[in-house]
Amino acid sequence: MADAVRTGARAPAMDRFSLSRLLRARETGVFFALLVLCIFLSIATDGFLTSLNLLNVGRQVSLLGIMAVGMTFVLISGEVDLSVGSTYAFSGLATGMLIIAGWGLMPAICVGLLTGVAIGLINGVLSTYGRLPSLIATLGMLSIVRGAALILTNGQPVTVNIRNGADAGVLETFSYMGQGYLFGIVPMQLVFFIIIAALAWIVLSYTNFGFRVFAVGGSAKAARVSGISVNTVKIWAFVLMGVLAAFAGILSLAFLPSGQAGRTGLGLELDVIAATIVGGASLSGGEGTILGTILGVLIIGVMRNGLVLMGVSPFVQELMIGLVIIIAVGIDKWTMRKRG
Amino acid sequence: MKARQIILAAALSLLPLQFAHADSKPADFPLAERIKAKVAAGQPLDLYVSYHDVSNEFAPFMKAGVAKAAEADKVNANFIGPVGADADGQISEIETLMGKMDGLAISSVSTDALAPLIDRVLAAGIPVVTFNTDNPDSKRLAFAGQDLVQSGREAGKLMATTLGGKGKVMITTIDAAAQWSLDREKGAREALAAESGIEVVQTLNTGTDPQEIYSAIENAMLANPTVTGILSLECCSTPAAGTWVERNNAADKVKVVGFDLLDQTVGLVESGNIQATIDQAPEKQGFAAVDLLAKFIKGETIDNLDTGVGIYTKENIGEVAKK
Repeated sequence: MADAVRTGARAPAMDRFSLSRLLRARETGVFFALLVLCIFLSIATDGFLTSLNLLNVGRQVSLLGIMAVGMTFVLISGEVDLSVGSTYAFSGLATGMLIIAGWGLMPAICVGLLTGVAIGLINGVLSTYGRLPSLIATLGMLSIVRGAALILTNGQPVTVNIRNGADAGVLETFSYMGQGYLFGIVPMQLVFFIIIAALAWIVLSYTNFGFRVFAVGGSAKAARVSGISVNTVKIWAFVLMGVLAAFAGILSLAFLPSGQAGRTGLGLELDVIAATIVGGASLSGGEGTILGTILGVLIIGVMRNGLVLMGVSPFVQELMIGLVIIIAVGIDKWTMRKRG
Repeated sequence: MKARQIILAAALSLLPLQFAHADSKPADFPLAERIKAKVAAGQPLDLYVSYHDVSNEFAPFMKAGVAKAAEADKVNANFIGPVGADADGQISEIETLMGKMDGLAISSVSTDALAPLIDRVLAAGIPVVTFNTDNPDSKRLAFAGQDLVQSGREAGKLMATTLGGKGKVMITTIDAAAQWSLDREKGAREALAAESGIEVVQTLNTGTDPQEIYSAIENAMLANPTVTGILSLECCSTPAAGTWVERNNAADKVKVVGFDLLDQTVGLVESGNIQATIDQAPEKQGFAAVDLLAKFIKGETIDNLDTGVGIYTKENIGEVAKK
């Protein structure tokens, strides 16, 4: 019975390796687009191809990347989550407020992550048992969670420092999470992103849960017939998204120790969805890979970095990023059609 | 850091800004009959203060000023406005409340979009003043706040003084297309252009999210390693610029001048990573918005009110830190 589902939706990592398969893989097109972009920027600017800049780009895309990993699960399962920017703000600011209130680091982070779990759970339940389209359920939650963050903070910035009450030891460890460098070279945010992406790749490619995510997104009806609890799988995908958005929010506050509920993470959901879709995930479900998402995140990050390095006008930058999203997805769809 | 020069610049800029006079006399204004009746009966007035984004950092300070003025002038003052800079939301809310309001103080999301509405409210016999962000194309009775072009000019002068008259400056803003940003940028560029040794390299549009802001500054500084001054036009790229200087140990090479007194900004001024910051006294602006309206409806002539600029450097930031 499971094989019947597999025919409709199969994790790409399970494909047998060969050069022709590699060239036909969805990620190959995105990878070449990224490569062309990098080659162009290396020629057009002095500062792009330097270790400092490349590590900066790595750090700059890490939080977006962590959230895009979560979004990959949600999109593959055939849903979408618009509340991630608000979750990012709420969980990060809540954690910061607890640290300022004198809490230890682990309890504060656990509470922050639990807020992400709770938001993901509500999104999941509303979108499955509540029978609301996830677009509507999470649009409502976007507003509810943003409002909750504003109420929680009274619209005031949350600044995590000793003057506001944070313990020096807690602050040091917290800051290291966001500002530190592994072996003095690799930004900690990038380290977290790599670990999370690797774990997500294993889960999506080699576990029953990963298989079920593809199955419910490929055909919910077929998955249900196969004995898969579609609602449970989707709820878990939302919970995973909530936790990762919360973790990214916490890391954000650890990097820049001040945030404000009206600005932090505002509109971030669109960047996250755009990066995931550029990486090959489909809004109609059943398609997407972690590698593709990483490439999508890198394309967005490298574009932003490169346009600034080239001194392009800020207004033109917005236009170019929009164009790249449309072109990247357009090429992907075109090549998919060509492949039949 | 040349402390004397900074203090001198600070003293100069504490002088009142040059506002055009715009006396508005109650006798010239056709006040709505229901409002006249309310005043005659000695009933408390219902004033509305519409702020362009009630979720931003300054809203709580504005609101506190509004509450103080309501108490002092014995009126009901309601602090309203959209969450996020949403012009349609601001317009809809005011339209909905028009029948109830005895006076409106407004800081517009968009000066062009809100001007017709302001004129419509005035035509209904309801007095309107602007605060924080002016709407000079409308027929508003008076404006209370900072002259944005002038405050930008002060920031530019301060940057020029800090750099000793020579260097390369990058201007940063969280919204390059917003009217307040364009006004401040105009003033800043004018002041910097007066110094032949100073070149403005670019205006960097950073976006509003803290991570976005920091990343944009980081990328731009890598692209322009010869920049010696960062002039931020608002609250939020100021601490990001200071943080970049702090993390790159660049306080000797790159000077930062910005706006407002966020917690993080105060700390960075104290540590010498930001050379100066200009405060716009949001509580004072909120107070003035209600006070001007109450006075006008009760029969006093009102005029534009400059709420001034306060300049803080390492020498005087301690006053803020103590609070």
